[in-house]
Amino acid sequence: MNISELETIEQIIEGFESKGYVMDTELATIVFLLLKLQKPLLIEGHTGVGKTELANQLANFLDTELIRLQCYEGLDLGSAVYEWNYQKQLLTIKIQEQSQKTEAEKERHIFSDEFLMERPLLKSIRADKPVVLLIDEIDRSDEEFEAFLLELLSAFQISIPELGTIKAKHIPFVILTSNRSRELGDALKRRCLYYWVDYPDLEKELKILQKRLPHIEEDLSMQIVQFVQKIRKLRLSKTPGIAETLDWAQGLLALGKKELDPATVKLTQGCLLKSSEDAELLASEDVRKFIENIP
Amino acid sequence: MEFGITEHIIRFSHYLRQKGLSVGVKESLEALEAARLGVILDANVFKYALKSIFCTSEKESRIFEELFAAYWQKKLEKGQKKILDHRERIIRHEHKKASLLFLGKQNTEKRTESELESQSITGASRVEKMTRTDFSKIEEVDSEFLEALAQKLWRQMNQRLSRRFKLAPKSGQVDLRRTIRKNIQNGGEMIDLHRKKRKKRKPSLVVLLDVSGSMDKYSLFLLRFIYALQGNFERLEAFLFSTRITPITDLLKNKTLTQNLSLLSERADFWSSGTKIGSCFEDFNRHYSNHCLNSNSIVIILSDGLDTGEPEILGYELGKIARKARKLIWLNPLKGMNNYEPLARGMQSALPHLDVFQSAHNLESLLALEKYLENV
Repeated sequence: MNISELETIEQIIEGFESKGYVMDTELATIVFLLLKLQKPLLIEGHTGVGKTELANQLANFLDTELIRLQCYEGLDLGSAVYEWNYQKQLLTIKIQEQSQKTEAEKERHIFSDEFLMERPLLKSIRADKPVVLLIDEIDRSDEEFEAFLLELLSAFQISIPELGTIKAKHIPFVILTSNRSRELGDALKRRCLYYWVDYPDLEKELKILQKRLPHIEEDLSMQIVQFVQKIRKLRLSKTPGIAETLDWAQGLLALGKKELDPATVKLTQGCLLKSSEDAELLASEDVRKFIENIP
Repeated sequence: MEFGITEHIIRFSHYLRQKGLSVGVKESLEALEAARLGVILDANVFKYALKSIFCTSEKESRIFEELFAAYWQKKLEKGQKKILDHRERIIRHEHKKASLLFLGKQNTEKRTESELESQSITGASRVEKMTRTDFSKIEEVDSEFLEALAQKLWRQMNQRLSRRFKLAPKSGQVDLRRTIRKNIQNGGEMIDLHRKKRKKRKPSLVVLLDVSGSMDKYSLFLLRFIYALQGNFERLEAFLFSTRITPITDLLKNKTLTQNLSLLSERADFWSSGTKIGSCFEDFNRHYSNHCLNSNSIVIILSDGLDTGEPEILGYELGKIARKARKLIWLNPLKGMNNYEPLARGMQSALPHLDVFQSAHNLESLLALEKYLENV
């Protein structure tokens, strides 16, 4: 999809749905602004509600590359932006030992593009066409890294002491995700569009399930979604997201189940509940009341 | 028509700002640009677009929905108005002078003999005595002196803590980038090694303060102590609990403590009622612990452990906290009493999970916390 041809929000909804991603008007509006205003988008929400998937689908929609940076505690510029290829540099110095080049020339050579290893952030601004840059779980990185990112997102340039400043050829479409394990800085938040993803309602989740698993029978999918919607209301320590619903449905399909019953639920609940406490909690409830239309 | 919309958007931005959302000129301009892109044709689309531009959190998103409806549909219902009024009140609270230390302390208590004694002591021995006096037994007259003394001691401790981080020995992995650059002149032989070391991370601190019954004096003093030290921690999160738990982190971030105090007492309307420690911790684990606990946090709990709830819950929930945090410290002012044994059932079930169990009834015992807060 070419950005200049994009005029309405419906185009976005249709484009994503044709690729199997269900999108409501709110998210489509935000994606529209993301593309048109070229502002980064910050998505917050529980785990497993499709935050990362949005970036995948956006790259798919735009027919461009997705460059992903997974954040973690202690992430440094060496693994996020660029690093020099030290081994190659050392070998080159050795080889050039006998050459007539001056020291300054040698230095210039080993700190040239040839020895530079691009990491996701640098790669995203040096790409030949606009890419989608996914900065995943930004809340896990340190505050220092967040500050650096803020600078990058406002100027879209990176300065490398040995090479000078590198400006973006094309401004990438940036999506940041956060699970809110810590509060992000105000400055970063204000630079971004903001979207809070909640668990989907019954109708939307059903639509997603049927889009993703077209072979699933209508009755089973309805039972699955109703079941998940109900147990989300329990005080679980890890509430299942859409990812879990899809896993579960896939599991049930693989087992050749046509409908839910308490025994099946018991056998397959590991797809939905990821801790022993939650399993105990469910066991203490009457599972039958979460299943509609028990035969 | 174009002009009409522009003006409306700007007025709406002003309205949001009045109601406490941080909407700047930049955001207004972006909203105008978004409108120009055609997102105003549908009311919902328009709302979503403005929401993504003006909001920066889930909470703001929810407030925005109300404000949007109120502004554009001119339907300011009473319920909403109440919420908005409440917000405004918080934003423009009055600056009140109050001493944190003696908030809630009444003047009417009779002086005991020992208190009369403490007044007449002067100089060095007065300092010594003061650091050992139980907070609940300090007289109003001595409060200023104690506060000044506390400030001084904390400042010293603060300096010690921060200096110790700087003096860490220089070792660590070789910095290849610098090393190569320095050794080009040696033909690539690595003669001068340059080293780098990961900067030592400051721990983050989570404080859970019991404000029920007799605990408030100790809690407030500890809060004050933590406040003085907050620069030494990467993050500081604080909660008050008695029958339920309330976060007060945002209040600690404001610059002036006196302002915070008036807010604090407003917020903690349950101040000094009974205690259900177990269920408060359960709430903490459910709603806040993901947000503020990690392997880098020290958790300090200040409570007398006199729980009116089930001790099993307390033990279970505390175990969860202990597994997540790096260090769990329980301060119990009763421990300062001579012959105190942790017999309360709540305290019994808590003990196995604690890294440190200490008293916190006077200045001296607070200063002794230093060794647990450094080198985590």
